Parts: sequence; C-alpha cells; structure tokens
Amino acid sequence: MVLAAAVALFVARGRPRLDIVRAARPAGPLDHPGARARRELVQVLGQRKLFQKAIPGAMHATIFWGFLILLPTIAEAMLAVIDPAWTLPYLGHAAWFAFLQDLFATLVIVGVGVAFFIRKVQRPDRFRGSHMQEADRILLTILGIVTTLLLWNASRIALGYADHPDAAPVANALSSLFSGGRSTEVAERILVWAHLLLVLGFLTYLPRSKHLHIITAAPNVYLAKTAPSGYLEPLRIDLEGTEEDTRFGAAVATDLTRKQVLDLYSCTECGRCQEVCPAWATGKPLSPKLLIMGLRDQVVAEAPALLSAASGGIVELQPLVPNAVTDEVVWDCVTCGACVRECPVDIEHVDTIVDLRRNLVMAESRFPPEAGTMLRGVENSENPWGQPASARTEWTQGLDGIHVLEPGDPPPEVLFWVGCAGAFDERAKATTRSIARLLTAAGIDVAILGPRERCTGDPARRMGHEYLFQTLAEQNVETLNGAGVTKIVASCAHCFNTLANEYPDYGGAYEVVHHTELLAGLIRDGRLGAAAAAASGTVTYHDACYLGRHNGRYDAPRDVLRSTGAGTVEMPRNRERSFCCGAGGARMWMEEGGDARINDTRFAEAEGTGADTVAVACPYCFVMLDDAAKAKGSEVRVADVATLLAESVLAEPAP
Amino acid sequence: MGAAWVYAEMVGGHVHESAAELLTIARSLGAEVAAIALGPGATDAAAELGAHGAATVYASDDEVFSGFAGGPQTFAVAGLIEEHRPSIVLFPGTYEGRDVAGRLQARTGSTLMANAIDVVGTDRARTEIFGGMKVVDVQLAGPEPHLVLVRPRSVTPARTDGTAQVVAVPAEIPEAERGARLLERHEEVASGPKLEEAKVVVSGGRGLGGPEAFAMLDALAEAIGGAAVGASRAAVDAGWVPYSYQIGQTGKTVKPEVYIAAGISGALQHIVGMKGAKRIVAINKDADAPILKMADLGVVGDVFQVIPALTEEIRRRTSS
Repeated sequence: MVLAAAVALFVARGRPRLDIVRAARPAGPLDHPGARARRELVQVLGQRKLFQKAIPGAMHATIFWGFLILLPTIAEAMLAVIDPAWTLPYLGHAAWFAFLQDLFATLVIVGVGVAFFIRKVQRPDRFRGSHMQEADRILLTILGIVTTLLLWNASRIALGYADHPDAAPVANALSSLFSGGRSTEVAERILVWAHLLLVLGFLTYLPRSKHLHIITAAPNVYLAKTAPSGYLEPLRIDLEGTEEDTRFGAAVATDLTRKQVLDLYSCTECGRCQEVCPAWATGKPLSPKLLIMGLRDQVVAEAPALLSAASGGIVELQPLVPNAVTDEVVWDCVTCGACVRECPVDIEHVDTIVDLRRNLVMAESRFPPEAGTMLRGVENSENPWGQPASARTEWTQGLDGIHVLEPGDPPPEVLFWVGCAGAFDERAKATTRSIARLLTAAGIDVAILGPRERCTGDPARRMGHEYLFQTLAEQNVETLNGAGVTKIVASCAHCFNTLANEYPDYGGAYEVVHHTELLAGLIRDGRLGAAAAAASGTVTYHDACYLGRHNGRYDAPRDVLRSTGAGTVEMPRNRERSFCCGAGGARMWMEEGGDARINDTRFAEAEGTGADTVAVACPYCFVMLDDAAKAKGSEVRVADVATLLAESVLAEPAP
Repeated sequence: MGAAWVYAEMVGGHVHESAAELLTIARSLGAEVAAIALGPGATDAAAELGAHGAATVYASDDEVFSGFAGGPQTFAVAGLIEEHRPSIVLFPGTYEGRDVAGRLQARTGSTLMANAIDVVGTDRARTEIFGGMKVVDVQLAGPEPHLVLVRPRSVTPARTDGTAQVVAVPAEIPEAERGARLLERHEEVASGPKLEEAKVVVSGGRGLGGPEAFAMLDALAEAIGGAAVGASRAAVDAGWVPYSYQIGQTGKTVKPEVYIAAGISGALQHIVGMKGAKRIVAINKDADAPILKMADLGVVGDVFQVIPALTEEIRRRTSS
C-alpha cells in the first residue's frame, strides 16, 4: 500500500512535467540511432563528460554506478518488508551480488562525503546561483538510503539471513553492532522500513526537484543533435505562405521544442557551463546555467497555462524575454559552445539562445542598435561592412594566377571561399594573400567567385535573422551549384561551419575544408617544400570555436605550425576547452559591457605562455586578438597560421 | 508643366535647413517654385524661403500645425494640392517629412519616391542603390503630383535673394486629423555640433596615446569652428572618451565635408563609419596605415606635432 501510494504520488507529480514535454513542439529529426546509442553508452553509462573534471567526475560516477547496482536492492527490500526470510530468487543468494552491493554502498557513502567536501570546503564558483540547500537535502537522502542499506545488511548477517557474510566485508564488520537476539530482529524491521521509505520518499520528491535528471538525462542525451554543434536547425521561413502561427523563434514557453523543455528538466545546476562561459568569466550577466534555470522557473510557473494551451485553450503567456532572462543575457552569448561541450547531460544552451534571438530580431526588431549596421550591410551589400562587391577582388592586386570564375567557366578543382573579412579587412587580407600564394606555390589553381561571392549569412543567422540568412544561403548555393563547385576551401571558421554544416539544408552539398587542413595536406604530400627559413621563436595557437570545438578540427593548424620549425606552446585552455576570442554569435558587431573584454582576457592568456606569436586560423579571432594586443601595447604578434607558413616556406616577408 | 513645390518643415518657430536645399533642387527643374510652411513662424520664414527661390509661400502660423503630428499638415497640403495641382512636391527626409509624405501618398494615391539624393525632372528622381555603390535615375510614373523624399544634405543650398509672395493657408482642421497630439519635444543636449551633422569632424584613435590628447583635438575643432570631435573604437574601448564619440561599424556614421583622422590606423570597423566623408585628411606616423591609402591628404608624422601646428596655422589665418 505504501508502495502504491508512493508510485501514485510520483505519477501525479511527474505527469504534468511529462505532459508539458509532450505538448512542446517536436524537436529535430532522430537520425543516426547508432551514434545516439553509442552516446548513451559512453556519456550516460560511461559518464565521459563528467570525468572532464576528475574528482567530481569520479564522485558522480561512483554514486551513479552505485545507483544502478543497487536498483535490484529496492526489490529485495520490498520482499523483505513482507517477510525477513524472503529475498530475490537468484541475486539474493549470489555471493558476487552481495559483494557488489556492499562495495558500492560503501563507495556511495564515500562519494557523498566527497560531494560535501566539494560543496562545503572547496566551494567552487560554478555553484554561484545554484540551489545549494536542495542539493544538501538530496545528498543527505542518498546518504540515508545507503547507510540504512548497509546497516540492514549487517543486521541480516547478525540474524543469519545472509548466505555469504564473507562476501560483504563492510556489512559483516558492522554486524558486530548487533547482538543477534530479539533487539536485532526489531532493528532489522526498522532498518528495512527506513530504507524503503527513504527510497520511496525520494521517488515522490524527484519530479519537483533538480534531481529529476536521473530520469531525464538519458533521453536528453539521446535527443541531442548528432550534427556538429556548430549546426543550427533551420526555420525555413516562407513569407508567401506565412500562417498566423508561423514561429519566428521562441517568444513564449509554448514555442520551445521538446528537447528544449527536457533540457530545462535535466539541469542539475552543477555550473560546469557557467565555469567555462566567456561572458560570465568577464563579468556579464549571462550564465548558461542561470539562463536554463530562469527558463525552467518560468515553464514550471506557467505549467497550468501550458497544459491548458496544449488542450486547445487560449491562454496568456508571459514573454520569455525579459521575464525568464533579460535582453542583455540573450545578447551576451558568443555562441562559442563551451557550455554545450561541457554539459554532462547535453543541454543545448546555444540553440535556445539563438531561438530567443530569432524572435527578438524577426518578430520584434529588438537588438543592440549598433548591430543594425551589420544587418543593413549584409542586407544591402551582402557583406557586414557594407563594402562594394567590386572590391572583393582588391586583394588579388599584384598576385598572379588567381582565377575569378565567370559564369560558364569550367568547374574549378577547388574553390577558394575568401569570405567578407578575407576580402575587405586589411589584416584578414594579409591572410588571404598568404593562402593564395601558398596554393599557387603548391601548383593549385586558385579559383574565386570574386564579386559573385556573398556573405554566407553566418553573422545574420547567429544574431537571429534567420530570414536574411536563408536568402543568402539560397543565393550562394545557386551560385556555387551553377559554377559546378564540388570542393571548397574556406579561410574563415564561420564560413567553414556554415558552408560545411548548414548549406546542405539549402541544397548545397560540398566537400568543405579549412585552409589549415588543405595546407597541412599539401605539406604531408610534399607539395609545399620544406621550410626555407625555419621560423624562430615560439608560437601559441588559439583554437577558433567554429573550427575546433564546433567542428573538431584541432590538429591541422598545429601540424602546419610545427612544420615551420617554430617552437609551439599551448595555452592553459586549448583544443575543445579553448576560450573564445569574443567575436562569435555576431558579437563582432556589438559593443561589449561587463568587467573585462573577452578578447583582452584571451590575449592575456596567450601572452602568459611566453610565446612571441599568437597564431590564429580565423579572421574574427585575428581582429579580436590583434585589437587586444594593440590596446595593451604588447610586442606579441598576432598572425594567421597561413601567413606564418608563407613566411617560412616562401621565405618572403608577409605581403 | 505644373509647379514644383517644397515642403518647408518648421521646427521651433524656424524653418528647417532642409528647405533651402529642397528649394535649390526645385529651382533646377525650370518650373514655378513654391514652398509650404506650416506652424508658428511660417510667415516670417517666407523671406528666407523667398531668398532661396520660392516665388510663392503658402504659410500658416497656426499652432495646430505644431501641436499635432502629421495629420493637420497632411490635410492642409492635400487641400493645396487639390486647388493648385503642382507637378511635384519635395519633402525633406526628416521624421516629419517622411510622416507627411507617407500620409499624403495614401490620401492622393500618387507616386512616392523615398531616399532620393536629387531630382532631375518633375518625373525623374535620383537615388543610390546597393549601399551607395550605384547612382540611378528613377522614372516617376503615376498621376501628379509626384512626391519625393530627399535625403538631407544632398545638395548645397544656393541663394537667389528673391522675394516671395505669401498666401495664407486656412487652418480649419477637422477633429479626425488631430489624432496624434504632440506632448513634448526633447532636444538632446550636446556641446558643440552633433557628430552626424558637423561639416568638419576631427577624430582621434589609439595613436593619441591617452585621454589628455583629446584636448588637442578639441582645440583644433574650436579653431576650425563648428567642428565636432569623434573617436575610433580603440580610443573608446580604452576609456579615453565616451561611447557617444565612437565613429564606425558599431558607432556613428558621419558624412562631413572634411574628416580629419588623427592617430587612427583605419581598421575596417572604423572606415565603415566615415567613408562617406567628402575629403579625408589622415595623420599617422605609420606610413603603412590603411587610412593613408584612402586619404585625400595623408600626413606621415607625429600627431603631437602636426595637430598643434595645424591648429596654430588655422588660428593665424582666421584671425587675420
């Protein structure tokens, strides 16, 4: 009866949560079931992302694995409640299970101890803003569950119910506490009831607590996208066929997808995202954790209205911005993906932020005014700086062998996608020229679209202007397909991500490589000669988010740098843990508030390695870090990997 | 050919400077030129309008025109159009100009051309497309009068020193046209001319080395007279001057007659905000600075020597 009551309460409390998820908009396609299943194994069972922090990871894994091992114990206890002599048919008599039970119960106690040590003694900043008392309650309940289990097992040993007392050394040792007489029989009854009531009580507590993640985490991980994290799900806006309920991003809670709602239920407020967030680290109001908590609070508060809306009722919902999160929070994000990468339960913060932006930009025209110049530039001149298209080939002056593709020309072997920064920004133009000279030296025909190239739409898309992005994507795909392009080399990490991951949605499927990959391949194949002038000094490489973390390209730029003969040194935060330059998510075109600038913070980290040169592989990083170097009056040079290679291989000064 | 009219916007009892520009354009069309001035001070403004070529000024000093947004002006202009049948009416691309022109178009069903930079006939307006990369003439079809919104500061006003005949405009405005009442007018308080409106802009960048050096630019701006001081993002980011000084991609866009860039390297982010300047003077000690490539006059030198010397020379010439 107790069991029935507990389960009924669990269902009663959990049901509305499930109904809200089911009422939400469908999430993206459930493609690649194999990859998803593998993720369940590695990430859920294997706890891989938790181990990104060794001690907290080991602590969590111990408690989690203990939880799995001890699941049958709940059934065991239920039987024993009825009759102390009853136990599970096979497991109840197996020595190995008795051993595992004893071992993991003990380890969970140690784990809870470590958890309290982390929370009460170490007190890392990532917990700022989390519900600390709730966490204490949860940990104490877990402690109670395993302690009663161990003591119950000890009393059973004392009473002679256990088949293999020696297999459970801890409980066996504890059994000396019990005399084995009538008082032990009473103690055994109390302990088994205490254990079971704690377990059932915990069950009823779950749906309303952040500990709900033990149910939602596994499906949340399964539902997370399999595409590279730089990929955004398209909205596919059809202005001709706009219906009244056409969704331009997330305005109110009913606009969230099932995955987005499940994200909210899965957050345990561990703050790993907050710890790696460049915005939070530089004193801005955005914390990915607080964003998720804010949205969750609103969804929970509006639950009755959401359920009524799901059954066709007309309800008035509060806008998510600025109620759940403020405008500032939404605009602070650099979309670097550090939070997503860090999250043990695969919450996709960035996609939700972009969805919030989509509504603000497209439905309300509400965004930092200084970014308007960029949107107008992209809209009118097809580049963020409003430069004339004819100037796209200015960088080719004085360079031989660059082929501007005209309509009707035969398809190029590989198309060099220069990008707007690469064509217009003085610093990025140096990179562009280096790449062109290197490719020419390697015997590759450098083909460009010249004035027919348009912005890929990335800055507009990350800013939330999906319609503008869609227009540009369609136009670019038409140009590229018309030119018979099959392979593209891009020098900008953002162009690379958009061309490789997002253009397939618009009919543009190309083999896309980043210039550092192409150059590394040419060096490997011996098509770019050995270093004519070995570089001196040391170089530290700054991973661009949209090349590294979002697309897993870490080695090629490092290989190229090593080939120059320069000494290399890594920054403390590198590869998938790299720290953004501050320009992503259209932040390049916005003013920055907070205590510190992201680019200054990253540059200081680079300077701290003692390197003479900071190598970059993306024009955004170049501009941001070079600005930081100049602002500081630093002697450290910022240059693209390609320029450093050109100086070494071609033994010429930079153009 | 019917007359060419100009909507002369009244602001705080005075005629807006755009009226002289529009009259200069209207005169070039070879038609009879008239101006409409509505609001307190309109009758007095007729002299100024006449001096810029208006033969007739339809004026009313009634406060109804300054107390409501758009409606009464539209009603009055529509009445005048009905009566006199001009071929074209030019409006300034200001908030009020756009408001009245838009309402008028809806009322008359004639053609409205926005964002023109010049008018070359009563049925031809000139405008920029592709973000200013191309200038095109647009044929104005549809019934007359054609309505054209002209971007401020597109032409240099020229005087004729003529006089205008003043025709009073009735101010009986129906209640329905008094929808939006003007409650308050806020003027942004700023010392010196606004950056976006100044004819000369003196701008400083990272090369100035610190906030103190901006006093040097203030002195130069004062010597020139009516010049505004701006800054590049680097100087603003460094905290030397407030954000309101910032010129560039994420700051203000300026189109002065002369732009003096001191210690600014010319990063793309900055150039976006000042490339529309008619003349660019750049002072930079780095001969490779991109700004020197686009400058009409480039000085490779130390701003701390060049700027004070320039200021001194301007003072000497203006005082003599």
